[in-house]
Amino acid sequence: MSDVALNRIRTGLMGLVMLFFIFPMIFMFMVSLKSQSDIASGGFFPEQLFWQNYPDAFGSVAVATFLRNSIIVATVGALITLLIAVPATHTIVRHQVGGKFLPAFILATYVAPPIVALLPLFFLLRSTGLINTSIGLAIVYGVMNLPVAFWLLSSFVRHLPVDFEEAARIDGAGHLGVLRHIVVPLMLPGIISTGIICMILGYNEFLLASFFTRSEATQTLPVGLSLFQGDRQLRFGQMAVASLVGIIPLYFLAAFFQRWLIRGLTTGGVR
Amino acid sequence: MTVAPGVAAMPRGQALLRGNRFDRRRLVLWGLTAPLVLGLVVFAVYPFIYLVFLSFSKSNLGTLFQDWVGWANYGDAVGDPKFTASLLRSTMFALVTTAVTLVLGMAVALLLDTAVRGRHLLRTLMLLPLLTPPVTVAVMWQLLLMPKGGWVNSFLMDLSLLSQPVSFLGSPVFAFPAISLADVWQWTPFVAIMIFAALQTLPEDIFEAAQLDGASRTQSFFYVTLPMLLPALFTIAVLKLVIAFKVFDLVFVLTAGGPGQRTTVSSFHIYRVAIQQFNVGLAAAQTLVFAVLVGLVTLPFTTAHDWALKKFH
Repeated sequence: MSDVALNRIRTGLMGLVMLFFIFPMIFMFMVSLKSQSDIASGGFFPEQLFWQNYPDAFGSVAVATFLRNSIIVATVGALITLLIAVPATHTIVRHQVGGKFLPAFILATYVAPPIVALLPLFFLLRSTGLINTSIGLAIVYGVMNLPVAFWLLSSFVRHLPVDFEEAARIDGAGHLGVLRHIVVPLMLPGIISTGIICMILGYNEFLLASFFTRSEATQTLPVGLSLFQGDRQLRFGQMAVASLVGIIPLYFLAAFFQRWLIRGLTTGGVR
Repeated sequence: MTVAPGVAAMPRGQALLRGNRFDRRRLVLWGLTAPLVLGLVVFAVYPFIYLVFLSFSKSNLGTLFQDWVGWANYGDAVGDPKFTASLLRSTMFALVTTAVTLVLGMAVALLLDTAVRGRHLLRTLMLLPLLTPPVTVAVMWQLLLMPKGGWVNSFLMDLSLLSQPVSFLGSPVFAFPAISLADVWQWTPFVAIMIFAALQTLPEDIFEAAQLDGASRTQSFFYVTLPMLLPALFTIAVLKLVIAFKVFDLVFVLTAGGPGQRTTVSSFHIYRVAIQQFNVGLAAAQTLVFAVLVGLVTLPFTTAHDWALKKFH
């Protein structure tokens, strides 16, 4: 096969793959513009643009509140994760604190399905009065994402040249000084990548959120979306609107931080 | 994995001479590590111990630890065919979606590696399914697959492949594949990006050598690329397996475990036992059995990773 023909096939395949990945989103957008009867009649494009779903979605479920809760919980959770994981990961990787056991143990905790933590954390939150609060859920996410953050950050630490840290130490900087003035600035791209990934994990989480938040004031967007499923007559158009509203912030993040996201996922790679 | 041996060794040598500073240094190092260890204790160690106690007790959501019942909950768990079937279903789901995402992810990664046009765009678009909340992924596929107005049904009927709309999510045959499809859609990009990154780390000269020796593209893929990638593939497989065992949201939104029990994976089954039957003691025993299963299923893959790393690197 000639190279030209092969390249044509590749470009064609490329188009197909892209279509597969974006088609469900495009169809959801189409549904968001259809009336209930238009949805039932099938097809791809709306027969007539039906914008009413947009105000209706915000009116029937507290989409704006859910969105706000999600953003707060995800952001605070990611900050908690970073605050704990950055110093700890550097210390564990550079100075072998905890030997070989600790890193293996941290990663092993990621293997257990979250259902394992569901009941014990529920009772812990209930007894500390943090059940049904945004800060409680944020703390849970902050802790939940520690193994992921450790995994991502440790490859960034390994890629950091040791020379700077040694030089600073010779100049008399203590461990904390090295961390603050050398490690954190040098690792900033890695810290940002890790932070974004942890934010997304918190933003998307459903199981724990549905169990730990029971009122509109604290429920997150995935929980809010699941509330649509309880209706006898599913309001597909409004559900599509609420879903779209929920993914728009994520897609903006993706557009702005694309390179960082990919770097965060792949630095050091896997072996 | 090289972790700069000089750095760790040097201060420790000094420390032996000045014991006092050694202690302070260790205190600082452990002080910085402690919050993470505490986090693990809260999220992993405490739940585990708590579950062990719960699993030996008669407990419901309102009143915990009413009585100690020995191994009764475990007996109930493994004696319940619905639960053991859910374990099998979770394992099937994990193995199937892992195999499919690995094959598709490999194809997409090779495409990203070799295509001349559209690589950048594909890499951006691929991030979108990965970022989408699983609940939203479920909503998207619900809209595509629903019998009345779902695109898949309209499309198949336009092609005259179907005469009547099919309720894919309500069908005993199609419900499980439908959930797997949604999962594959969400996770293929992640696997592809990881494989693509692993491809970039392979040394260029091996491929040149293979080409000089007259290897065709197919030969060089099966005899050079694949063996070199094998350790990475096993690691990615372990990751994907672990993620697949966690699946909950897709089932919750798309099928609620049905029709019948056809899509009741273990995390969903356990959730029901705890939330709808309030039988927390039994749920705890089931959770621990499930956790052991996850370990058992992933273990061969981590062993295979170590074997491949030794053999091909």
